[in-house]
Amino acid sequence: MGGISLNYLVRRLLVFFLTLWVAATLIFIIPRLAPGDPIAAMVARLSYQAGFVEDSNAIIEGWKERFGLNDPVYVQYVRFLGGLLQGDLGYSMARFPATVTELVGRALPWTIGLVGVATVIFFVVGNLCGALLAWNRTPRLVKVMIPMSMIFTSIPPLLAGLLLSYTFAFLLGWFPQTYSYGFGMTPALTLEFVLNVIHHGTLPAMAIVLVTFGYWALGMRGMMVTIEGEDYMILAQAKGLKPFYVLYRYMIRNAILPQMTALAVSIGTLVNGVVLVEVIFNYNGMGTLIVTALREQDFGLIQGTAFILITTSALAVLIIDLSYPLIDPRISLEGR
Amino acid sequence: MSQQLNPHPKSLPQNEGVISNQNRSSSLPVEEGAGGRGKNSRTVLNVEKLRIHYATPQGDVIAVSDISFNLYEGETLGLVGESGCGKSTTAYGILQLVQPPGYIVNGSIEVDGTEVLNLDEEELRKFRWTGLSLIPQGAMNSLNPTMRVKDQIIDVIESHEGKQKDREALRERIFSLFQNVGLPNRIYNMYPHELSGGMKQRVCIAMAVALNPTVVIADEATSALDVVVQRIVAQTLISVKDDIGVSLIVIGHDMGLLAQIVDRIAVMYAGKMVEIAPVENVYAKPLHPYTQLLIDSIPSIKERKPLKITEGITHDPRNPPSGCIFRLRCPFAWQHCAEVEPPQIMMDDLHEVACHLYDEHFAERRANALATIANS
Repeated sequence: MGGISLNYLVRRLLVFFLTLWVAATLIFIIPRLAPGDPIAAMVARLSYQAGFVEDSNAIIEGWKERFGLNDPVYVQYVRFLGGLLQGDLGYSMARFPATVTELVGRALPWTIGLVGVATVIFFVVGNLCGALLAWNRTPRLVKVMIPMSMIFTSIPPLLAGLLLSYTFAFLLGWFPQTYSYGFGMTPALTLEFVLNVIHHGTLPAMAIVLVTFGYWALGMRGMMVTIEGEDYMILAQAKGLKPFYVLYRYMIRNAILPQMTALAVSIGTLVNGVVLVEVIFNYNGMGTLIVTALREQDFGLIQGTAFILITTSALAVLIIDLSYPLIDPRISLEGR
Repeated sequence: MSQQLNPHPKSLPQNEGVISNQNRSSSLPVEEGAGGRGKNSRTVLNVEKLRIHYATPQGDVIAVSDISFNLYEGETLGLVGESGCGKSTTAYGILQLVQPPGYIVNGSIEVDGTEVLNLDEEELRKFRWTGLSLIPQGAMNSLNPTMRVKDQIIDVIESHEGKQKDREALRERIFSLFQNVGLPNRIYNMYPHELSGGMKQRVCIAMAVALNPTVVIADEATSALDVVVQRIVAQTLISVKDDIGVSLIVIGHDMGLLAQIVDRIAVMYAGKMVEIAPVENVYAKPLHPYTQLLIDSIPSIKERKPLKITEGITHDPRNPPSGCIFRLRCPFAWQHCAEVEPPQIMMDDLHEVACHLYDEHFAERRANALATIANS
């Protein structure tokens, strides 16, 4: 069984932090390359809404001073990085004086919960379906049903979300249409609240699962077919092992390894779909927060949410990476 | 280490080529059964008219065509022939492992009185490995890469004998299997990728005899190994066979290696059995023209010889020629060969050949043919 050496762990962590640093730097540079002045734009919007703003130049100057935009760029950069290290992502410009950390802190747990559960479900269901498609003992009916259920894979997450929302929330009324928990409830670790959260999360999670599991099923089927042709499968048959044991210990166990790699790669892409699904269900997670930030041209919040999403994805990849030696005995991270 | 590797140094003669009986430690029907075929040894495997086809869009390819042979208790039978002649398909047919699009058309396979082809699915599963076990062709890839060596041996024991409660006894049992094949105990907890090719092959041998099967089939068990490891593995195979007393079918195309380890050789050509003979006879007086050419082609270090079986054409396996399968390449073929399929002719106790030359009606032709061989 492979293990992880301290040396490898340290190097892998260095790469992780390097990723974060590059991401932070890009996030810092890109808005500053964009034409226009966000504060001027904000004040202009204020004056447009109010009809008249007294001494707008003074306001602009005051805000610039407050956000430190008059300092040289390298001072801003160092201050920005220093803030990140302390978990300070700056202020939301549209909702000043709320800090980005505060807003993200409220949204992130919901997204992690939703995406985490959905990921586990589509990974398990997808791979199981793929395995059953390839297994020669699967009942014919199941082999027909699975490909039919995969038509959702070709539907964009946006549409799948709308379809589910319309059918199960609007027409049938089985599930609530919006938000992550019922209005008037206070988040607490009670059974009632947890059930409520599950009730609210079912449709968004289903939307994500429906559009992704087919992709995993097809990948798994392909792997299983490859495994079926391996020499050790003939031997497993010759040994007279029980069919179900051969399925999970010989076939799925070996076919799942490339799927894990694919999962690590796909986590970044997964976030894209989640943003839209959250918006459709008005789910108070990171996706909705990003869209709000974009709509309000809230640069501080855009920077913050982007950075947090990159951090979470990088962390997920790191975890999958480090767990490789546990699932594939041929990979040892010792002494490299 | 070297002692461990070869607990029975006598079981393999040191000289190349044809071997004498004294050097072989197993009891052979050849030695004892002079009075009658198989009288002193029980038949453990009886294959009758086995026919296996591969379905293709252009028609069935006849891979194995009505093959019949016996295997006696404690005997080692070598199955030889060129690539694609149906050796492995025969083995997989006996094991009921023919993969689609291959299928068994007809035949009978009896192991210890059990008709294998009549078993239902669960009976077949239970029969596997206890009746017939396999040492696979590509030992390199025949072990599950994600399971420890011990688990792959334990799973076959437990799926046939039920959950083993006494883990300590189970471990001892596996250690003794390791000892049989000269493997060190430290590989118990290892994964296949941590073993060398020779070790993997020996794990496969240990696994094959784990349940004391009646018959073990070794499908080119040594072809992927270099000559030194090949020798060690072959020695292991024979010593294990003698220890446990199983009957063995060795499939291969290395005539030199087979000559050293088998008792009888069955020669196949294009899905047909052309000759079955005690190993000495095959090398000293091969009867079938194909066997003669085959033996003639074994390279010698004293002289360079061209491969002789290159003349004539090979037939389309979907449309075999009428009569004798080998007539298109046979130097002695005449009209009769195209008209009648040669039967298996018993020459002496254990020597069978499927060739019209050995029909008493054609004794004259045989004499001419033998004269031609003598002159060449």
